[in-house]
Amino acid sequence: MSLSREAIVEGLRRIVGPDAVVTDEKILVESSVDNFRKLQNIFDVHTAPVPAAVVLPADTAQVAAILTWANENGVNVIPRTGATATEGGLESVVPDSVIVDGSMMNQIVSIDPYNMQATCQCGVPLQALEDRVREHGLTTGHSPQSKPVAHMGGLVATRSIGQFSTLYGGIEDMVVGLEAVFPGGEVARIKNVPRRAAGPDIRHVVIGNEGALCFISEVTVKLFPYFPENNTFLGWTLKDMATGFAVLRDVMVNGYKPSVARVYDPGDAGLHFSHFAAADDCVLLFMAEGAAGIAKATADGIQAIVDKHPECTQVPSEYIETWFNDLCWDASKITAEDERIRQTHNVNRTTEISADWSSINDIYQAAKARIIDEIPDITMMGGHSSHSYINGTNMYFNYFFNVVGVGPEEETDKYYLPIIGIICEETLKRGGSIVHHHGMGKARAPWVKDEYGSSYYILETLKRSFDPNGIMNKGTIIPL
Amino acid sequence: MDHLRIVVGFKVTPDYEALRAPDWARAAGGAAESGGGPGAPETRYVRRVLGVFDEAALELALRLRDARAEAGLETSLAAFSVAAREADPFLQTLQALGFERAARVDPRAALDFAPRVTAAVIATYLRRIGSPDVLLLGSRCGPGESGAVPFLVADELGLPCVTEVTDVQIASRGRLRVTFAAGGGWIRATIAPPCVLAVGNAVVSMLRVPTLKDRLAVRERSLDVLSSGELGVDAAAALAGEPTVLASLETIDRERAGTIVAGRTPEEKARALYETQLRARLERL
Ligand SMILES: Cc1cc2nc3c(=O)[nH]c(=O)nc-3n(C[C@H](O)[C@H](O)[C@H](O)COP(=O)(O)OP(=O)(O)OC[C@H]3O[C@@H](n4cnc5c(N)ncnc54)[C@H](O)[C@@H]3O)c2cc1C
Repeated sequence: MSLSREAIVEGLRRIVGPDAVVTDEKILVESSVDNFRKLQNIFDVHTAPVPAAVVLPADTAQVAAILTWANENGVNVIPRTGATATEGGLESVVPDSVIVDGSMMNQIVSIDPYNMQATCQCGVPLQALEDRVREHGLTTGHSPQSKPVAHMGGLVATRSIGQFSTLYGGIEDMVVGLEAVFPGGEVARIKNVPRRAAGPDIRHVVIGNEGALCFISEVTVKLFPYFPENNTFLGWTLKDMATGFAVLRDVMVNGYKPSVARVYDPGDAGLHFSHFAAADDCVLLFMAEGAAGIAKATADGIQAIVDKHPECTQVPSEYIETWFNDLCWDASKITAEDERIRQTHNVNRTTEISADWSSINDIYQAAKARIIDEIPDITMMGGHSSHSYINGTNMYFNYFFNVVGVGPEEETDKYYLPIIGIICEETLKRGGSIVHHHGMGKARAPWVKDEYGSSYYILETLKRSFDPNGIMNKGTIIPL
Repeated sequence: MDHLRIVVGFKVTPDYEALRAPDWARAAGGAAESGGGPGAPETRYVRRVLGVFDEAALELALRLRDARAEAGLETSLAAFSVAAREADPFLQTLQALGFERAARVDPRAALDFAPRVTAAVIATYLRRIGSPDVLLLGSRCGPGESGAVPFLVADELGLPCVTEVTDVQIASRGRLRVTFAAGGGWIRATIAPPCVLAVGNAVVSMLRVPTLKDRLAVRERSLDVLSSGELGVDAAAALAGEPTVLASLETIDRERAGTIVAGRTPEEKARALYETQLRARLERL
């Protein structure tokens, strides 16, 4: 028999003490959704089951005790740290869930400038870690736009990626070791070594698990020397995305590693670059960084590649540098955005996918055309590629629509999910991945079998083995 | 009034929030080359945005039109900007939102902090198209603005000017119920147009967004573009007659020091807060 709400709260209080169990109704209601249904919080209209409590463990031992108890009592657990999730990973889809919030586990355990690694608890905001390592002339190299607000646990749990990924990689390239707590209360520590071949790389069971397998309590990430003085910015305008993708491919195939390598389509470019790009211009931009010789060689190499494309018109680098300096989203920007939505009912959503070089432009064109054609009230449909690899790149669809004729709680059904559906369909049709870096959450979970194909067997087996009672973040990655 | 002619004047400004410290430093050093002339910050490399109060004025005009339509009353909407080409994308957006007339008067000169010349250009333009029933203007725009333009325009047109307007609603017999800030509070006045409304800290401050289909529908429509010279105002020459000159602009560092109140429980923190911040002050009372 499942526990009552009162019994759940009581059980948690016994484990962590009364001060670490939050039952304030407003906080619980707001905790029932994340950015996927952000309109529910903005307009204060809620439909998801209200969690029974938010619990704030102080250390790994308390996390282990909570998970053991939840596992024994069949209580659904939703791990959380920075609460910036965009795909419904934090949404409570079953009644009386418990949010296990790691934000009190916020200690930087060590910074080791000799071995170039830093260890921190899951609730350390990335910005806090970055600020501390900068004191040593170092950087984590990780810079998602949510850097000021996202925490290390969530960043690892979602396989996040930062704006400098072409040089430093995604979070999976940065994590050297970690500690995770599993539903039975087992605490597993993966040691920090440069590499090993002692069987499968089990870090990847944990990285990207989105709280559906385990709770990440501590992570160790790589550090890199920081040379901001050598940052070199390059930018061009051009008339079509196909050329932009081709240039990005040339840069990657020739072995250059700019930290930023992007191409924006005209719609998306209009949001950032309308002061120098015409309404039908795409914008191609790069940042080269690192030691002086490397930054210069990278910038020179990219310049030579783009010079071979006369259809690209170079723009002063100050345009790109100024854009770069205003990239991240802190809490005040998020609040201003919420206010804009409240007043205008105009909503910005994003969906990111990846595919090989042969398919990416077709996916972009097909999805864009269908969305404009099939979805009502679209005010902007565009996107950019921002993370490139030797074999392909990502496409970050960026779109706005007016919410018309429905309440805020119906926005996802009327607009957002149908758009996601189109993007997933067009991506899967051409062999791409439906999620590049935001995680599956609950929003894209319905497509999980199509995404995985026959490898779904591995995913399903992982879930069954590590979470046999199904208490970890129900509905995330694998739908209910 | 069965038919109301509303005209909104707006300004496009650099996004000052996106300026970097060195851009302002250039201003403090009095270096040249920036868009706004010597002493102004370097603004060439940031995107352009609608002035905040102008954005509110535009949305208020649309809401007024919608409310009048619901009451079965006709309204015509026009928007204009005294600006270079950078205002065009904004004018196209306004066309898509239902502004029947979207015009740009190019002064061929930088009119920052030149309220008399700006007002002369605006008033001349408005006389040319026919003085409106309601003229909405933002009460001021970016940093380095005088805030005097609405008054001067109203004066030139011989119309009353209501300042710091925060809301406009329809009232009976074609009148307008205008809310404005005054004396630390708000006053609601019912006005029979014509009038100039200088919009301040409005409740509604953000402009709605047209759909792609709305944009497509007006794609073929052109903007009215004319130079101030064509109106008979030589803005560049008139600038020399502005009595006041903006010599420089700089930001004031607003960062404040902070302390984190430590304590294991809320009670401990409250006690620490009381001890460090309150007790001494209370004892002094
Ligand atoms: C404005 C904005 C900009 C963004 N920009 C980027 C970007 O550039 N790149 C990018 O990759 N993402 C971006 N995101 C998405 C989001 O910031 C990332 O997914 C981030 O990694 C989430 O971290 P968090 O600490 O906020 O996690 P949460 O939001 O708290 O959780 C995210 C998911 O991880 C799980 N989880 C959280 N903590 C743990 C834990 N300790 N153990 C196990 N599971 C856990 C949750 O259950 C949930 O499923 C952006 C989001 C916003 C709102």
